[in-house]
Parts: sequence; C-alpha cells; structure tokens
Amino acid sequence: MLEVQSLTKHFQVGDTTMTAVDGVSFNIARGEVFGLLGPNGAGKTTTVRMILGLLDPDGGWASVDGFRTADQPIAVKSRLGFVSASDGIYPWLTVREMLLYFADLYGVDAALASERCEHLADRMDIQHLLDRRAGVLSTGQRQRVTLVRGLIHDPPVMLLDEPTRGLDVVGVQTIFEYMEILRDAGKAVVVCTHRLDEAERLCDRFGLLHNGQLKHCGSMQQLRDETGRQNLVDIFVDLIGDGAGSVAVE
Amino acid sequence: MSQSSEPNTDQPSDSSPSFESTSVSKTSVSLRSSRRLLRMCKKEMLETLRDRRTMITLVMMPLLLYPLLGMAFNRFLYNYAAGASEETAYRIGVDTEAEGETLLRWLEDPRSQPPEEILNASDGKLAKFKVLFSGEAGIDTLQSLKNNEIDLAAKVTAGQPPLLELTSYEGDAGSAGARRILVERLEWLRLALAEEVAKQAQEQYQPPAQVTLASIGEPAAPSALGTVIPLVLVLMTITGAVYPAIDLTAGERERGTMEALMASPVPRSYILLSKYVAVVTVALLTALANLVAMFMTLWASQLLPLVTGQEDGLPWLAMVQILGLLVLFSGFFAAVLLSLTSYARSFKEAQAYLIPIMLLSLTPGVLSLMPGVTLSGPMAIAPLVNIVLLAREVLQGTAQAGPAMLTVISTVGYAFAAISIAAKLFGGDAVSRTSGASIAGLFTRPANMKLVPTTQAAAMTLALLVPLYYLSSNFLVQFGTTLELSLANKLLLSALALILAFGLFPWLVARFNRCQLSTTYQLKSPSALSIVGAVLVGIGAWGVMQELFLLADAMGIRGLDDEKIAQAKETARQLQDVPLVILLFAMALTPAVVEEFCFRGFLFTALKRLMTPWRLIFVTALVFGLFHVVTGNMLLPERFLPTTAMGVILGWIAWKTQSIWPGIVAHFSYNGLLMTIGKYRDQLDWLGSTDGESKHLPMSWLIPLVIVTIVGLLIVHVASVVKSDAVTQEVHPGA
Repeated sequence: MLEVQSLTKHFQVGDTTMTAVDGVSFNIARGEVFGLLGPNGAGKTTTVRMILGLLDPDGGWASVDGFRTADQPIAVKSRLGFVSASDGIYPWLTVREMLLYFADLYGVDAALASERCEHLADRMDIQHLLDRRAGVLSTGQRQRVTLVRGLIHDPPVMLLDEPTRGLDVVGVQTIFEYMEILRDAGKAVVVCTHRLDEAERLCDRFGLLHNGQLKHCGSMQQLRDETGRQNLVDIFVDLIGDGAGSVAVE
Repeated sequence: MSQSSEPNTDQPSDSSPSFESTSVSKTSVSLRSSRRLLRMCKKEMLETLRDRRTMITLVMMPLLLYPLLGMAFNRFLYNYAAGASEETAYRIGVDTEAEGETLLRWLEDPRSQPPEEILNASDGKLAKFKVLFSGEAGIDTLQSLKNNEIDLAAKVTAGQPPLLELTSYEGDAGSAGARRILVERLEWLRLALAEEVAKQAQEQYQPPAQVTLASIGEPAAPSALGTVIPLVLVLMTITGAVYPAIDLTAGERERGTMEALMASPVPRSYILLSKYVAVVTVALLTALANLVAMFMTLWASQLLPLVTGQEDGLPWLAMVQILGLLVLFSGFFAAVLLSLTSYARSFKEAQAYLIPIMLLSLTPGVLSLMPGVTLSGPMAIAPLVNIVLLAREVLQGTAQAGPAMLTVISTVGYAFAAISIAAKLFGGDAVSRTSGASIAGLFTRPANMKLVPTTQAAAMTLALLVPLYYLSSNFLVQFGTTLELSLANKLLLSALALILAFGLFPWLVARFNRCQLSTTYQLKSPSALSIVGAVLVGIGAWGVMQELFLLADAMGIRGLDDEKIAQAKETARQLQDVPLVILLFAMALTPAVVEEFCFRGFLFTALKRLMTPWRLIFVTALVFGLFHVVTGNMLLPERFLPTTAMGVILGWIAWKTQSIWPGIVAHFSYNGLLMTIGKYRDQLDWLGSTDGESKHLPMSWLIPLVIVTIVGLLIVHVASVVKSDAVTQEVHPGA
C-alpha cells in the first residue's frame, strides 16, 4: 500500500550540508501498523513530510497505492491521512465546520462527509462538541478532534507523527483506542515516535532510524533474531551507543 | 507481509482508481470545481469575520475615527481659510488710550474699507480689529506680542501727518495678516481722502476706471482635503487588510493548521486564492465602511463642498468611482500583504515584515499630498501614489482617461506580480520548521537548469515591463529632445528602449532563473519552407491589418485627437527623409526580433504547460496587443485590434513551427513592408491607392493580399507537418 524507496533529503545549514534522511526504504501493507522509531532528529518527520509531498526529496521516491508523490501529488495526498502532535484547530469555526471543511478539501461528498463526521465523532466521543467553537476546547478534546480530522476522508494510509507527544495518560489512552479503530478499518499505518515502550504495544513492524538511516527493519521477532536483544530499548542502546539518552524509556 | 506495487504513473491524478470500495471513489478530487473554491473562500471569510478583532477594524474604527477626523478637518479648514475670511478679530496692542482712539478712528472710517469688488473677489468679509491698551496692565506691547496676547504692536506718534509704527511677529500668520490688512486699510483711507481732495480741486476729476468683476472657467483645486480623503481611505484599506492577511497565513502556521492544510489534495494556488479572496473582501468591506463613514461625516459637518468644489449633496458617482479604485487597490495590496505574511512563521514575524511596508506606503501617500503633484508622467505608474492622485482627480472631476488607464493597468500589473510572489512563497518548503530559508530565497538562483521560465517569473516580468518600458522610453525620448537629436537618431534610441525593456530584461530573468535559452526562446532551426510561408504571411497580413485598423477607427476606438493625428502625419512625412536602413533596423528588425523573443519566446514557453495551444496563442496575442496600446507616453487603443490579430497569427506560427525564427521573419516582413511603403509613398502613387493612413485598400489589392496570407499560412502548416513526419521517421525508422 505504501512504498518508500531510497528516500534522501539534504538540508543546507549555513555552509554545511546535513543529510536528514539517507536512503530510507520500507513497504507497508494494508492493515499493518509500522513504527518509524528513532531519537529526536533521526529523520522521522522529514520522511513523513516527503511521503506527503510537503518536502521534495533529493533522491528516491515514495508511492501510495501505486501513485508516486513526485508525479501525482494530488492522488497521493487524497489517499493519505495525516495527524501530528503539533496539529492545531481553527478557533473561530465550530468542530463540525472544521471537520466538514477538511472533508471538502479531500473532495468528500457533503452528505457522506456529514454521515462520517457523526460516525467518527461517536467513536471518538466528541459528539457533544460538534457544534462548539473549536477555540474553547480543552487540550484532550482538541486532540480527539484532530484525530477525527485525519480520518474524515477515510484514507487507506494513515501517517501519525509523534501522536502521543505532550499528552497525559488519558490522552495516550485515546491514541490506543484510535489505533484500534484504524486496525479495524484495515488501514496501513505509519507511527513516528521516540516512545519505544508505546511503539512496542502499538506496532506490528518497526523501522529503526538513526542519523537519517534505517538501521533495522522488521517485526519484533525479526529484530530479536537480528540483534540478539529482547526489547527495543536494548536494540536502540546498541545502535546508537551513548546517544541512547535521547530515546525516552518510560 | 509487506506488499509492493509498481508505481502507476500513467493514470491521471484526479481519476482515483477504486482500491477501497467504501470511499476513495467518492473522494475523487475534482480540481476544477469552482464551487469548492467558493466554499473554501466561504470558510476563510467565516473564520475572519467571526474574529472580533476583524470587526473592530471593520466597524469600530470608522465609527470612531471619522467624527474625530471631521473635527480635525473642521479646525484645519478653519485655519486654512482664516486668511481670506477675515472673520477673526485681530488684536492690536497700543501703549496709550490716545493711540488706540486714533487707530480706531481710522479703522472705523468707512473710507478705509476696500471697495465692494475687491471684497467680493477675495470672497472675504471685512476684518475686525480689537485694540488693547497694554498701558493699563503695565505690560510692554512688544512683550505682549511675544506672548501672543496681541497680533500686532502699534505706536502712533502725533505729527503732520501722524507717524504709525507697526511691529509684527515674524512667522506668525495672524500677525502677518493683521499687519497686511491694517496697512491696506490705511492705504484705502489715504486713497479715498486723496480722491476727495482731487474732486474738490478739480471739477472734471475722473478715476482712471470703474471696475466690475466677473469670472468664467473652473475654480482651482479647492484644498488639500481632496488628497487627504483618498489617502486616508487607502490607508484605512491597508489597515483593514493587515489583520486578516496575517491571520490567514502566518496565523495558520502559528495555530498548527498549515501542515494539515498543505497535506490535503488541494492545489496550493486554490488555498492561496481562497485566502486572497477573503483578504480582499475584508479590505473592501473596510474601505466601504470607511468611505461611507467619511462622506457622511463630511456631509454632516458641511465640509463636502470644500472637497468637491460643488454645492450639491453627496457625490455618488465619485464615491462609486473611488470605491472602484479601492477595489483595484485592495486587489493589489492584499497580494503584497499575502506575499509577505505567507513567509512569516508567526504573528510577530509577520508584523515585523509589515511595519516597514506600512511606513513605505505612507511615504508615497504623503508625496501625493504635496502641492503641484498631479497624475501625469511617472506619477501614473507609481504604486499607491497613482491611486491616491487618481482618486483626488475623480473627486474633483478633473480625471483624464490616459493617465487613469495607465494607473489601472500598472496597478493590475503590480497585483499580478505580488500574487505570483505570494504563490511562490505560500506554503512552500519554508513552511517546515526545519528549513533555514529566508525571504532572500525568493531572489536566489535555482540550483538546477530549467527548460523554460516558471509562470511566476513570466508574470513578474510582464508586470515589471510596463513601468520599465515606460521609464526607459520616456527617459530616452527626453534625452533625445534635450540633445536635439535628429529623427533617425531618435528612432535608434526608441529601438534601444525596446531592446532594453523587452529584450534585455526577460533575458536577464531567464539567465537568473537558469533557464535553458534554446528552449526558453524556441531557438530550434526551422525548415526553409516555413520561412517562405512566413515571408508571405508578413507581406499579405499588411493588407488585413490595415483593414482592421480602419475597422477599429470606424468603431470609434481612437486615442488620438486631431492635433495628434496632424502631428503623426507630420512625423510620417519626416520619416520619409530617414535612410531606409535605419528605418528598417529601428522599426522592423528590432521590434521583430525583440518582441518575438519576448512574446513568442519567453512568455509563450512559460505559459505553454498551463494552457491549451489556442488559449496560449490568444493570451500571448492579447498581452502583445495591450502592450502596443500603452506604448510610450500615449494610449493608442486603435492599435489593439490589428496588433492582437497579428499576435494571433504570429502565435500560431510559433506554435506550429515550434521555432521563433519564422515568426521573426513574418514580423520583419510585415513591419519592413509598412516602412518601405511609407518611405516611398510618393513614388508609389502610380500603383493606385497605397496611402496606408486613412483609406481602404481597393479590392484589387485586398483580395491578392488575403490570398497571399492564406497561402503563407498553408505553407507554414505543410512545412510543420512535413517536419514532424521527418522527426517521426528519425525516431522510428521502421514506421
């Protein structure tokens, strides 16, 4: 469903060229949850942005359902759902207006969009917030609205960038519920996170990213066989040596 | 587990293959949906108009501001008119009561009053004077003058005649007024007394003349208020646009909604356009609210006649025209604002960008307030100044079509340039927080070679060409006139202006953007056959264009008055004395090469990807036609129809042959033939009517010329078919 091949991105920082993503390749099938893991600055967000077409890659390509981002960005974007921890809301629109606006951007028919809005609001427990102005919502409520927003066009592929960042226990629990919805719907999901403990619970397969390179890729069992370590934390410690401090182990 | 699929790039992006029966077929994105664009605009409007801060600038500001401004205007006009109305009582300080009595006796003497005619002519009433005795208070009159307790210090010394010594305060308008009027009054008194004595001494005494006054013509521009009003409106429009512009762009980033927006399958231009519409709408609503509030205030405070110079009520037509100008201005300024705020990552940053722009826009605004500045010459293309000046002239009923048109066209051009900048910046890589790019990125050269210029580069180039050509041609004309150059040299200078503006400038832009010149200018060599066709088209089209020119004239599309037509005829006669080589170089070869490179090269290839061939041909022809209308310092609307038609033919040739050269040949043949006929007109009389200025061509000429054109076009068509067949043969030898 989602195929990433040799994606590469360089950034110019002053006079030096920094390689943020260095030849990253992976595939994700329908119904699969893939964890793109790595410390801060490993290149997770840059990879997601290139898949989405928000950044042009310097090498390689990404394709969704056979459509390459560089060639057919519109076809790719309409098949991707995207939720990030830094996502915001439109404070002067009601929740319903905002959700329907995004549905419209994705070309969802108005009647279908309303139906889906009600259904998702029900599942994410924001039914009572639909006609409230988004600006007055609490952080937890905003998070739920954002999660519904990402699914409003029922995309086959979901990209979640650090979905649990800055959330309390209840917020994190919401993400787990959300993942269940995604699994039920058979979505192909990419979760970018530096929270290894959460990733272990959430994901079927893992890609371990360090300094822009995908060091290991596979299921938990495959990673264990490959590295001889039992959990992600140990694998990461081996991988990045003293840089392990930047990976959250909670 | 993972499943790889071969990328399928053959399918069009907006036809979504069904890979999930539930939804995606229904979420197929119809990009051309204008209804969706409307809904997007509606959302932006909702978001902006619900925001209370918008409403404050929109409604509260005009409600509060204008009554206050009205009071200020009142005061301003009162002071402005004080010198003439002489309503105020001037205070004259004297030391003693006796001096005061003497002064009052003089001033109260009816013979000291100016004659009725003079009072009427200066539209004033008789000045009043008040005499203050500083002796009572024990204060020196000079000290009182310094303290502004009196306007004038007077000292009367008895004698034959008595001596009057006046001291005024330098630089004080009241003091100067008091002195002038007092001296004048004494002068009138002296004259009256002298006349009485003269009459008594001589029975036959007659004054030199009995004067009565009348006037015709328009009153002079009433006051600076006429400029202040458009300036305030323009500034208020800016104020109205600033907040939504920041909120809908930088605000989007600050709220964290930008990424989700950019991740949606809607072209960036749609998103920008919806925001642009919202900003322009709010700016216009602000303009409208201000316009209404301002005119109501002026009307209520009875200041309106001072602005319009007329006694009637609200000047509805002028108000509508000014609103039209504000529409134009908001379109331009909203684009400028969006291009700046699109770049900012936060409200704060956006404000930092905008403050210099606000100050910058104040400077030309103030310039337009200066006396003697009128909408002519470079002022007509100076952004903001031209709108303010045009609005003032509209208000005073003195606007003229030429400069007004130039104002409108140049503002539209600037708006396009600003929108193309905004489109380039909005939501670009700069959005991402990891990017270290800066606004200077707009002016950095792209790293890779490009085949053709981008649309933005073409739009910006076009927008800048209007003022550039205007300035360069006028500068060179001025230069030629100052040096008293011969007509031949002036022609060479105008060719130079053409080369600089339409040749050099797009070339520099193409070089800067690393565009491959062979593809940008379609430098591919053409077939010999297409050149033959092009020559025939150039020769034959002359007759067709001549008829179109006459058609435009018959339709009343005409920019020249009789005086200018006579001038043009005189120039045409003088052109006969210019050597043919120079005529052909300056008037045929240079325009043919430079204009074809610009319009059928640079512009043509930049727009090629965007449009169908016919649309491309018509759009470039239209631009080509418009540029010939605003050429130089005159407007020649009668040139539009023939030049656009010629542009269509030349565009078709460029598209058919995929090469610039046949077009250049056709253009040169056309211009060259016109020049040659013009030069040898007298010698060609035997041919019949070849006078290309006013008469229709006889059918015996027109029909062969039309046939020659058609044959030429057919040859070009055949040549291009033959050539493309040859290419196919080369690529697929077996075919």
